[in-house]
Amino acid sequence: MVPQLSWYLALSAVLFTTGVVGVMIKRNVISMFMCIELMLNAVNLTFVAFSSFFRDVTGQLFVFIVMTVAAAEAAVGLGIIISIFRNRESLDVDDASTLKL
Amino acid sequence: MLALLFILFAGMAVGCALSMVAQRNPLYSAISLIGVFISLACLYVTLAAPFIAAVQVIVYAGAIMVLVVFVIMLLNVEEEERQPVRLRTLVPIAVALAAVFFAETAFIIFFVQTSPATPTGSVSDVGLTSSIGTGLFTTYLLPFEITSILLLMAVVGAMTLARRGGLIGANVGVVPGYQSFAREVLDPMATTDLTQVEARTSREAEELLGVSDSPHGHDEG
Amino acid sequence: MEDLKHLVLLMVGILVAFTVVMTMVAYTVLAERRILGFIQGRLGPNRVGPGGFLQPIADLLKFIFKEDIVPDKSTRFIYFLAPTIVTTAALMSIIVYPFGPDVHLPFTLPLIGGNTIPLVIAKFDVGLLYVLGVTSVGVYGIALAGWSSNNKYSLMGGLRSSAQMISYELALGLGLIGVILQSGTLNLQSIVEQQSGHLGITGWNLIWVQPVGFIVYLIAAIAETNRVPFDLPEAETELVAGFHTEYSAMKFALFFLAEYVNMFTVSMLATTLFLGGWNGPFVHQVPWLGIFYFLGKVVFFLFFYIWLRGTLPRFRFDQLMSFGWKFLVPLAIINIVVTATVQWSGVFDWGAKFLKTSTGWGG
Repeated sequence: MVPQLSWYLALSAVLFTTGVVGVMIKRNVISMFMCIELMLNAVNLTFVAFSSFFRDVTGQLFVFIVMTVAAAEAAVGLGIIISIFRNRESLDVDDASTLKL
Repeated sequence: MLALLFILFAGMAVGCALSMVAQRNPLYSAISLIGVFISLACLYVTLAAPFIAAVQVIVYAGAIMVLVVFVIMLLNVEEEERQPVRLRTLVPIAVALAAVFFAETAFIIFFVQTSPATPTGSVSDVGLTSSIGTGLFTTYLLPFEITSILLLMAVVGAMTLARRGGLIGANVGVVPGYQSFAREVLDPMATTDLTQVEARTSREAEELLGVSDSPHGHDEG
Repeated sequence: MEDLKHLVLLMVGILVAFTVVMTMVAYTVLAERRILGFIQGRLGPNRVGPGGFLQPIADLLKFIFKEDIVPDKSTRFIYFLAPTIVTTAALMSIIVYPFGPDVHLPFTLPLIGGNTIPLVIAKFDVGLLYVLGVTSVGVYGIALAGWSSNNKYSLMGGLRSSAQMISYELALGLGLIGVILQSGTLNLQSIVEQQSGHLGITGWNLIWVQPVGFIVYLIAAIAETNRVPFDLPEAETELVAGFHTEYSAMKFALFFLAEYVNMFTVSMLATTLFLGGWNGPFVHQVPWLGIFYFLGKVVFFLFFYIWLRGTLPRFRFDQLMSFGWKFLVPLAIINIVVTATVQWSGVFDWGAKFLKTSTGWGG
């Protein structure tokens, strides 16, 4: 049996849902960031699967750009996380839920 | 053969993803996420996209996660404590909704006709580096250039965030025309020196207090 | 059935390549100690066997029988995982290098049929990117080893070493882009085949094609493998012993082995891309010579590494990082720009055509 497109889409849905659950459950801001990366990767898998099954290179180009954007987001996001840690001494998002320092 | 490989790599991906969400120690979560990325790269290879697979390993598993692991190690992030279970009354409703969802999914899988998209049987040249390069530099040149500007912005942003000093805390008394700064506001290391100084800008205050945030001023080794 | 034959061929190839690489790495350790001894005016180990020939076996026995000490407060899982990651990542990249051209055997192979065997295990279209990816993953072993030892000196050494490795990985990748521009492909077999000029020597990518790229690659590769002059994070006199302070016996042997296999891998990549791989005089008439040429060039690079270790002092860490970011990366980018401009304008093609029409030499 050859893997069908629906198998890849189902896998991508499972990974995306796991990422969403992780973002809702986790209290540590770095763990939430990692769950966001998992969601981005699930979407990347969908793009590559469609690109492969419909013989169109556009999907893979978009994946390339998504990866670049994720790298930029990681750099700036982790910089923000380090700044928050310097000011509050805690990485708990529940402690950072108000705008007051 | 391909189905076997798909089941293997998909199982690894889902297993590592579940482990990532379930672990309380963020370093183990990071290692599980690296496992997810590598199994996704293997899946991309089975989908005849070798360039994207290699770029996934180099960029995601080799650069972004190294950054995350560095931050976890430098900030010495602790394990999360177990939380008490809240909203126990909603658990039966959640189970019922999950059962409905599984029933719907089973119905779709077994009774609905799937679309006739042909799987990758014959050799295609869509995933080769040359076709990606051609597409990136001809049809999609504008997104490519904008992405490079985005990366430049990210570099500048990261460097700005990493600079110390220049931040004003919330415990600053504000007088019109003047502002009072305590030394600990400008220099987070000096937590015992609470001398106040009047100045108009944080730069003036830094000079008066002798705290400098220029690169050759902070010579901490 | 076809899949099974393919799989068997792969397994046999991996086994042979693994054996060859491990043996050469073991004797590289011995060669390093003896050559360093000669540079420093003393003899190296020469007691075990004639000329110290059996020293690696003695070392292996010592490592196996040593007591394995695990620090009490270390995180056990990561402590055991780190040397595994480093060794696996180091060994995974030997499958894409072409050790020689297709050789003809005098007999027909029993299971597979035919009498030609390719001397490369896996023919990837993106072979070069695969090598870069695998070296990127090898950084984790060092960072995790430093962290899991529960020792602040190990952590500092591990973080410094990882920061150095990811900085020089960038310079390494950029230095290779010149070769990719000139060859037009990421496939290592094609790059080697394009370097067969006259007598197998004049076509090399080293002198005429990418001199600056070679220098950038070589310096970045020495920094990537944590060798002198870039070995501050693991030097014997700094930070106790860096990230592998708390490792003993077999796990330390794995780190040690991984460093030498990394050296070997990087030398193989330099040989393949810049020195013509298995090309040499008379290699098309006698294909078996290809292996000797390839391994000979790799041995030359290993000797160069050992020679540098005996000769140069080491960089301080901030000098190392500023050298990598402020000198090597701009130099690599300038190399890419110049190579792309020359390639696009066709200046060298015009020069070669002029040379051929005027003197009949070249082509």
